[in-house]
Amino acid sequence: MATPFKEILAQPEVGQRFEKVRQFFFLRESTYDMTSRCNLRCEGCYFYEGDKQHTEDERDPAKWRSLMEAEKGRGITFVVLAGAEPGLVPELCQVCYDVIPLGAIATNGLKPFPPSIGYKIHISVWGDDDESQKWRGRACLEQQLASFKNDPRAVFVYTFTRRNIDQADFVTQRIAQQGGKLTFNMFSPTVGYEGSGPLTWDVDAFHRTRDKMKELLERYPETVLYSRYNAQVHTDPERSLHARFRCPYPRCNPDTKLGLGRSFRQYRTDLTWDRAAACCVPDTNCDECRHYAAGSSIITARMAQHVDSPESFKKWLDYVDTYLAVWVAGYEKSPNLYR
Amino acid sequence: MKKRVAEIIINELKLKDVTAESFDENLDLIEDLGIDSMELTTIVVVLQDEFGIRIDEDDFSQLTTLAKITSYIQAKKG
Repeated sequence: MATPFKEILAQPEVGQRFEKVRQFFFLRESTYDMTSRCNLRCEGCYFYEGDKQHTEDERDPAKWRSLMEAEKGRGITFVVLAGAEPGLVPELCQVCYDVIPLGAIATNGLKPFPPSIGYKIHISVWGDDDESQKWRGRACLEQQLASFKNDPRAVFVYTFTRRNIDQADFVTQRIAQQGGKLTFNMFSPTVGYEGSGPLTWDVDAFHRTRDKMKELLERYPETVLYSRYNAQVHTDPERSLHARFRCPYPRCNPDTKLGLGRSFRQYRTDLTWDRAAACCVPDTNCDECRHYAAGSSIITARMAQHVDSPESFKKWLDYVDTYLAVWVAGYEKSPNLYR
Repeated sequence: MKKRVAEIIINELKLKDVTAESFDENLDLIEDLGIDSMELTTIVVVLQDEFGIRIDEDDFSQLTTLAKITSYIQAKKG
């Protein structure tokens, strides 16, 4: 028997946390590929898969400004600037920020961003410098740490693969030493990669990753922006995020009346978009997608699936609180409710 | 029932200058008020509590006006 929602909210810590997160229900997201250029070539990169890598870059700031103003006009309140490497076009990132001041940039962190761009900056980390050299063609970690030391915009995003699980200790320690913030991602193979690529997951690696995430969450509570529920749903060996929660991005969702199906667009570098391909990590295999950005939208949107019990709702609140702390500048994470 | 549904919508959306009696039953919550899925979900879970029904997520996008929500709940309750 489900617990009535009003009884769940009657628990003071739950009701207060719901009021905290619901202040951000106004966020409406779209994502933008900024340039087809990148200064890395990472194993299994989603950007260099499919058609989007071949579009012509729009480099005119005036056209980007027009796009952003049109996006604002149709209700977009949060932008994610992503592929291939936004750090190569900071002037375009600045234009976006000037029009829509809430958002995040997904970067490899090799190029700094001007302080005038107030977005969250997500710096992808794949392990120590040796591991980075192996899978990304360049040692990245120490340069990333140096570039973003004491930068309140920065969130380091550790992408787990089955080959770098144990290195997460060292990386987390290094980030903690300089007072940084860290969250976790899961390598999510592109269509066709699964079963053939060297970073393909196996069941044991999912379990070891889950254990490592929980361990680091306990050891570094001031550093790691995550929750036990995040670890649980992102390392489920049997079910991808889509299989478990049904992905609401247009690529998987025909509904055009509500939510992401109504408003989300994924713009290519030529400022066009294609509904059939629109999600946060296009060309990723939906059956294997455990990507942190995908979860941030998928699980957040599935509140209705988490209102059957206080424990379930606490898990959802932890997830949303984590999402907001990772993505929204100025939002502070609270202690997790589900333990 | 319609009055109670209107009260819930007004309360959850924190609407000002409108009462359950004056609420336009054909006002489109999405098109006219600009609410989105999370706000609608919050209304839905409160309605589930209030009327003792379960509302499938696939049906959320039908629940766009006071009139449609009331009809939906009446049909669910038989």
